Amino acid sequence: MLNWVLFLPLLGALGLTVVPAHRNDLTRGLTLAVMGVQFVLAAWLYGQFQAATGALQFETRIPWIPQWGVYYHVGLDGLNLLLVLLTAFLGPLVVAGAFSAITTGVRLFYAMVLVLQFAMVGTFLAQDLFLFYVFWEAMLIPMFLIIGIWGGERRLYATFKFVLYTAFGSILMLAAVIYIAYTVYTATGVPSFAIADLYRGGWSLEVQSLLLAAFALSFAVKVPMVPLHTWLPDAHVEAPTAGSVILAGVLLKMGTYGFLKLGLPMFPEAALLFRPVLMTLAVVSIIYGALLALVQEDIKKIVAYSSISHLGYVMLGLVSYDLMGIQGGIIQMVSHGLISGGLFLMVGMIYERCHSRDLAHYGGLARLLPGYAVFFMLLTLASVGLPSTSGFTGEFLALLGAFNAGWAELPHATWPLALAATAVLGVVLGALYMLRLAGRLLFGPARAPHLPLAGLSRREGAILTALVAAIFLIGLAPGPMLEKTEASALEIQSILNAARPAGGTP
Amino acid sequence: MNLDMLVGLLPEHLLLAGILVLLVTELATRHAVSPLPVALLAVAAAMAAALGLAGEGYTAMPFPEQFVMDPGRAVAKAVLLGLALPVLLLAGEARADGRFAMLLLSSLYGACLVVSAGNLVTLFLGLELLSLPVYALMVVGSRRPESAEAALKYLVLGGAGSATLLFGISLTLGATGSLSMTAFTGAAAGPEPLAMAAVTLVLAALMLKAALVPFHGWAPDAYAGTGVPVTAYMATVIKGAVLLALVGVFEGARLAPALVGLTATLALASAVWGNLAAMGQRGLRRMIAYSSIAHAGFLFFVLLGEPAGRLEAVVFYVLVYGLANLLAFACLPSRGDEGTRDHLDRLRGLYRSRPAAAILLAVAMLSLAGVPPLPGFVAKFFIFKNVVEAGYTAWAVAGLLASYLGLFFYLRVIRIMFMEEPAATKGDTRGGVLAGVAGVVCVAAVAAVTLFPGWLLARL
Repeated sequence: MLNWVLFLPLLGALGLTVVPAHRNDLTRGLTLAVMGVQFVLAAWLYGQFQAATGALQFETRIPWIPQWGVYYHVGLDGLNLLLVLLTAFLGPLVVAGAFSAITTGVRLFYAMVLVLQFAMVGTFLAQDLFLFYVFWEAMLIPMFLIIGIWGGERRLYATFKFVLYTAFGSILMLAAVIYIAYTVYTATGVPSFAIADLYRGGWSLEVQSLLLAAFALSFAVKVPMVPLHTWLPDAHVEAPTAGSVILAGVLLKMGTYGFLKLGLPMFPEAALLFRPVLMTLAVVSIIYGALLALVQEDIKKIVAYSSISHLGYVMLGLVSYDLMGIQGGIIQMVSHGLISGGLFLMVGMIYERCHSRDLAHYGGLARLLPGYAVFFMLLTLASVGLPSTSGFTGEFLALLGAFNAGWAELPHATWPLALAATAVLGVVLGALYMLRLAGRLLFGPARAPHLPLAGLSRREGAILTALVAAIFLIGLAPGPMLEKTEASALEIQSILNAARPAGGTP
Repeated sequence: MNLDMLVGLLPEHLLLAGILVLLVTELATRHAVSPLPVALLAVAAAMAAALGLAGEGYTAMPFPEQFVMDPGRAVAKAVLLGLALPVLLLAGEARADGRFAMLLLSSLYGACLVVSAGNLVTLFLGLELLSLPVYALMVVGSRRPESAEAALKYLVLGGAGSATLLFGISLTLGATGSLSMTAFTGAAAGPEPLAMAAVTLVLAALMLKAALVPFHGWAPDAYAGTGVPVTAYMATVIKGAVLLALVGVFEGARLAPALVGLTATLALASAVWGNLAAMGQRGLRRMIAYSSIAHAGFLFFVLLGEPAGRLEAVVFYVLVYGLANLLAFACLPSRGDEGTRDHLDRLRGLYRSRPAAAILLAVAMLSLAGVPPLPGFVAKFFIFKNVVEAGYTAWAVAGLLASYLGLFFYLRVIRIMFMEEPAATKGDTRGGVLAGVAGVVCVAAVAAVTLFPGWLLARL
């Protein structure tokens, strides 16, 4: 069943090749149907997922290159469960959101969206480092085309910057992957890329540090963490709406997921060494991203920079090593995917109507487009972290984790607590820039570059309703999700804590 | 009469039979007859014979110390012969005559000889037989003055390479008293100055034939100056055969420590320079020439690895790299002036006019760039895995970083095809039927290698 979830989009992309080029309606319908079925299957798997165990579920393991110990090995655990669900949930919304925006090269566009969906789900599901790398890199090319063909004016610059940044990180990761495979083989005599085996790599601290540096560079580019973030605003601004939604909704989570699944637990000793740096960069990303968002005049750029800030919380939660923090990080990943995905969709909707993203051109949309304004306000409040929305759950848990860890370490070090305290500032800044955006866009004298404005269509309303419902669901009832992630998060936590010197913090 | 002389040389005999049939038809008929069916049949039969021998695990020395046949070599031959099939289809598209087919088959005979060489003289003969017909192939049927220039350049530099190789072989004879490969590999491991000089000369000759920096100057002109089928042949089969010769001469021996630095530096320089120079090229053939310089660099890294895995890595790489190149050539517009039909300007907006060709060409470019899940990635992984296993991690990291440089220009081709408007006067960008068949054959093989790399690696 899990394999169906994974391969359905690829089959869909192959199916599109036989659809006649001019049948755009058929192409759209088929893609939406594929994505819809994928989501239903993923939701069913979520329902069947057993919370009690941290072991892999719905596992498939088939030899792929047995000589090298490479297996096609996929499975669900508490770490990737919610992210797969998020990806499958955003899929149909992205497809539906692009119905009116993409009018040229429709078939290629949806084929690329489907291939990208396949690669993203594959990256989350992969339990074999080789397979993970293959999927990880395979995400690059569809995104390259999506930004480069259907993007804005500076799309070529943006897409090359995106690919060259990410590929640089991955090439060093590839070197690390090869080295890891070789050392595991010499140590055990059995070639293996299974991630579970690699948690017990047993490298010296120096080697671990180099390997983690290679992985961390690759992941940090993707997250992105300051100072490796400069590709993000360009890519987001130039990408078509669907590209932005996928980028913000799912692709950025690859970086944080990579830290959680691979970077930290594979090299726990080195991770301990890197922890202050990662934590500092996380807080810097929170504050710096928020400050940048505060001064932008381009609506899309505000949302883009807010992503940098929000993913800082994820990193902060993960490196807190606190159970709350790790789970908060996971929830925050999902929450950010929904909120920023929704915001990018809404920016896209207004852009389709007025062909401008300049904040100065707008005002008083609450009077012009009341329905739009309601949804925008809800998403804004969720982004700010209003209690009862998912934004609150994620940020609160991540910060709580950081504080828990900080208190516990207080006898030895004050910096974790100081950093956690600084991170809270980000919440205030977040409220500032989001309310500035909403205030100038929705209120004040009513104006827009293109009048009259058409109200939200039924399709747009349905997309936004689904998103807002999901945001409130996580905000009001995060319990079941936390339960399902707990066992796996505990496992990662125990691996991380095992590396700490005895007599340290609990 | 030894049966091994018949069975062990079966692929070669079939090629020879093909050449004879072509020769007789050429003499016996007045009208031009397409040589394509005979040539395709001969090469396919030779490939099938090689695969059959590999499947049987056939191991023999039909000519002791001269000609060696074992399953690994049989697969290598099958790969080279298999790569020649799309080349023949491309040649058919360009309406090549009987002379073309005969020369190509002779050159393939040389390639098979190179793979089986058990002795330095056989190797030399094979390399000569491999390249001599190509000097002629470059000018046959071409009316462009550049072709003659390119052929002359290739001839002079190829001659210099052969002379260097002969010099190295004679020094080997002087140092060890033997011409066998084992004597050479023994000398390669030792510290004796004369033997070291011999090894260096042989290495330099092979570097020249494979177009490694700083011996690469001939490649761009030669590749761009000739017809597309010949370029495709040079970039795939010839390059592959030279690299297999390299693996053959160093069989079973680790590279002497004194040579590691030299080889790795030149390999890295090739990879870096090839990838940098390719960025600014305007024609696909010139770009592929620089890309092939870079790939020769990656392939030379194989010498750093343990001897045991070299042949497998090179055969896999040659197959994957060759398929990608042939796929790219098969997708080119097949009409128009031979000198400019590969210009990247003509590919502008190709996706609009020929979506399938644009997608296949993009697949070829991405495989050459080594982007997963395409097989170029597995091939590169294999080479650098061997390098890391031999303990040269720093060189492997440098090599991988060099491969990163290549990403830009491969993506540039994709940008031109997908993200730019078609040129106003684009001319006829249609492809031909035979080239289309070649493309389909290649893409089917690429798909098979992508999905089942393990199956293939188990049989190398």
